[in-house]
Amino acid sequence: MSVAEARTAVRPRSSRIVPLLVFAITIALIVATPFLPNYYVRVVNSLLIYILLGIGLNIVIGYTGLLDLGFVAFYAVGAYTYALLASPQFDLHLPFLLILVIAACLGAITGILLGIPVLRLRGDYLAIVTLGFGEIIRIIINNLDWLTGGPQGIARLDKASILGLQIARPVDFFWLLLVVVVVAGVVAWRLEHSILGKAWAAIREDQDAARGVGINTTNAKLAAFATSATIGSIAGAIFGASQRFVSPESFTLQESVLIVLMIVVGGIGNILGIVAGAAILILLPEVLREFAEWRILFLGLLMIFLIIVRPAGIVPRSFGPEKLIRGLFGK
Amino acid sequence: MLGNLIQQTVNALTIGSIYALIALGYTMVYGVLRMINFAHGEMFMLGAYVAFLLLSMLVGDVGMAGAIALAMAFVIAIFLVGAVGVGIERVAYKPLRNSTRLAPMLSSLGVSLSLVTGIQILAGPQPVAFPSFFPVVRYEVMGGTITSMQIGILVAAFVLMFGLHFLVTRSRIGIIVRAVSESRPTAQLLGINVNGAISMVFFVGPLLGAAGGILYASYYGIMSPTMGAVIGLKAFTAAILGGIGSIPGAMLGAFILAFVEVGGTALLPVITHGVLGTEYRDVLTFAILILVLLVRPAGILGEAVSEESVVYKREF
Amino acid sequence: MTLVFQSLRKEYGEVVAIDDVSTAFAPGMIHGVIGPNGAGKSTLINMTAGSYTVSSGSITLDGKRLDKLKKYQIANSGIARTYQNIRLFDQMTVIENLEVCFYPAEVAGTWKEVVWPPYATARRQRRREKCMEILRFFDLQGYAEVDAGGLPYGRQRMLEIARALICNPRVLLLDEPAAGLNHHETADLTAKLTALRSPDRIMIVVEHDMDLVMTLCDSIIVMHHGKLLFRGTPAEVQASADVQLAYLGTANDIDDIRAAAQDRRAQLGIRTRRRS
Repeated sequence: MSVAEARTAVRPRSSRIVPLLVFAITIALIVATPFLPNYYVRVVNSLLIYILLGIGLNIVIGYTGLLDLGFVAFYAVGAYTYALLASPQFDLHLPFLLILVIAACLGAITGILLGIPVLRLRGDYLAIVTLGFGEIIRIIINNLDWLTGGPQGIARLDKASILGLQIARPVDFFWLLLVVVVVAGVVAWRLEHSILGKAWAAIREDQDAARGVGINTTNAKLAAFATSATIGSIAGAIFGASQRFVSPESFTLQESVLIVLMIVVGGIGNILGIVAGAAILILLPEVLREFAEWRILFLGLLMIFLIIVRPAGIVPRSFGPEKLIRGLFGK
Repeated sequence: MLGNLIQQTVNALTIGSIYALIALGYTMVYGVLRMINFAHGEMFMLGAYVAFLLLSMLVGDVGMAGAIALAMAFVIAIFLVGAVGVGIERVAYKPLRNSTRLAPMLSSLGVSLSLVTGIQILAGPQPVAFPSFFPVVRYEVMGGTITSMQIGILVAAFVLMFGLHFLVTRSRIGIIVRAVSESRPTAQLLGINVNGAISMVFFVGPLLGAAGGILYASYYGIMSPTMGAVIGLKAFTAAILGGIGSIPGAMLGAFILAFVEVGGTALLPVITHGVLGTEYRDVLTFAILILVLLVRPAGILGEAVSEESVVYKREF
Repeated sequence: MTLVFQSLRKEYGEVVAIDDVSTAFAPGMIHGVIGPNGAGKSTLINMTAGSYTVSSGSITLDGKRLDKLKKYQIANSGIARTYQNIRLFDQMTVIENLEVCFYPAEVAGTWKEVVWPPYATARRQRRREKCMEILRFFDLQGYAEVDAGGLPYGRQRMLEIARALICNPRVLLLDEPAAGLNHHETADLTAKLTALRSPDRIMIVVEHDMDLVMTLCDSIIVMHHGKLLFRGTPAEVQASADVQLAYLGTANDIDDIRAAAQDRRAQLGIRTRRRS
């Protein structure tokens, strides 16, 4: 057998090994999680929330090529929506699913409201303006005491329940988050491959040429902002429900940066990359828990290192969900 | 009333001169590399911490007299931070020079994160009281109070800014830096030492930022590992306001921003009948930033680049 | 159906790039735009496509004002263009570069595409068939799944024209389509563009390659210093003294140079040989 033949013979198998491995690990994790101690289930939950946030932000950064550094604002909108509508703060106790819908709508509206003024800008200016917006929202939350409880936040949020089924234990949230993440992931992936997704990619590649082929770039960008904000807001509402406490502390600039990092480290524009990025950035600090404060320093240095060594992220662009599925079913 | 006005004006000038020192670093880096250096705010923070450390060493271990120790700590600290700036550029930005526009910015976010946590580990996360670098004497001027500290800050800041102005307009290295910010490829083709110019910018920028940090910490009597974030953003706003890439623009923007802030802080509660208190000062800053970017992205002194002449290609 | 420029003018501050140009382009013909560098040829294309704003005057297609519309609206009115420096969507595949042009027609069904896969598949299939047809015409069918940025230069030029054609535009603006192409590629391009002539399409080609312009175009306008200098058939343009001067310098320039040379010679004591 010649070298070339050997290579062609081996290649199909090796291209299946990685997908199978990824699939096996994922299944094993999902099956094992409910039996883990609560502490670890919480870690997995926080991982899932960050994956959800990553999926949302990736629509703006990865698909459309707009660097949004204020994403945490939408996360905050969702969390405070739950906090205000299901707590003693105003003695409102709406059902969880209804709040989820309201949070999604509010997220979309905030996304569009923020989007309208800033979408004319591009690149670094957009980054700095969205960063400013994120800070504005945080400052407002911090100071609007009558509404948000100020720096103390809002405590004693209602326990969530869906159709009479109470969602309180970390395991319950694990299943809920798993469903939401999968749904969001599928929606984002299908959006990427829709005609709108292609328009986003065109805007990312060359905004002016995109206009030249008849794309209303403002509308397409607003759609990206709104979709991304909706996902962020839903993540926020679930976060609020699982913590049963919200405060401005959770919505700092650092959070926005962390989510951007996840995307960049994993591989911009690739959902599998986000999962990998989130796994590294969320789980690694947990593994390094003993070193307490050193872990964030380590994260910062790791980030510089990865951007220099693997600027396109650790998961190649070509290794997307399609490849994974194709690998699994041998097509 | 007049006294109040004078006092507020001096307050604004003091804050403005500190903003200007930091804004200069943003604008110079942007001019040369077209990059937002998110770690620049940390140079400001680092300045205060290094000066504090030096001061305690000089006074405590060496037993130097107060005034000389202060001056020495100031000078050594800013040069040290300048050197740190050059080192950071070499390690974290230089390898990315031919990468996408986004890469060095993300790298600078990493640097920022590392520096903040690094200082938190070394010096603790709590704010620390900072010694005054100037003897505090109060002067009454037409009913307003001005401190010697404010005068000292103004003098120090202006000396540094004139120094920079001289360096940029008169010296050989200044001409090289300007050539590189005009067009890096052309400068390279003409055999100009582009790396030298970039190193220079990453030395002078952090040096000025560190000076700003020492003056700021001295003015408010406190420093903390996270003090660079918000101030950095404000200085960046100032740089944009004046026209990013323009050195006089950064100074002008800083003073305008400071006056708006001081004026706004005084007037906000009055105008809104106490609904919006002074804590919304930062919101005002960001509102200005957003407004400027939307109405005149080139800033006050920046070159107006018409949308037509700019080719937008993918940035990452 | 005609494209009409009425007293068109473009200023950049003090500089007048286009000065009072009025002309009309009839369908079914290939119109060439020629002129020295800086004559305003590309500016004309850029204004028509909405990349540049119009300082004064108007552009109309079938009586419909175009110059007040946004760039994407102009594109959707049936104006397609290529760029002097190729501007493809580099990290999208060749076929995606074409598919994205169906956005204005199909964006309304995006959510249906997301939730109902069979619909998405059917629509994608239809889209891709149309795209493949155009790709075959430009001999690009083998490259369909390659990233556009990775194509050889000549192919990129072809793909850009394909992208402009995919939505069957009424006006096709080509800004230096032959720039950077070798002989074979230029000949190929000429053949393709000739085949694209259609009774209901206005084609406007800005080009420096005179051979290409003269063989391809039915009608040529010559721009000079932002003004419309001459308009006619290729034969008329070649015969025109004005056009030759525009390329060689004005009559006055030549007289001035001759006079200056004579003075200089007189100064130096060189005797000018008298012409017989």
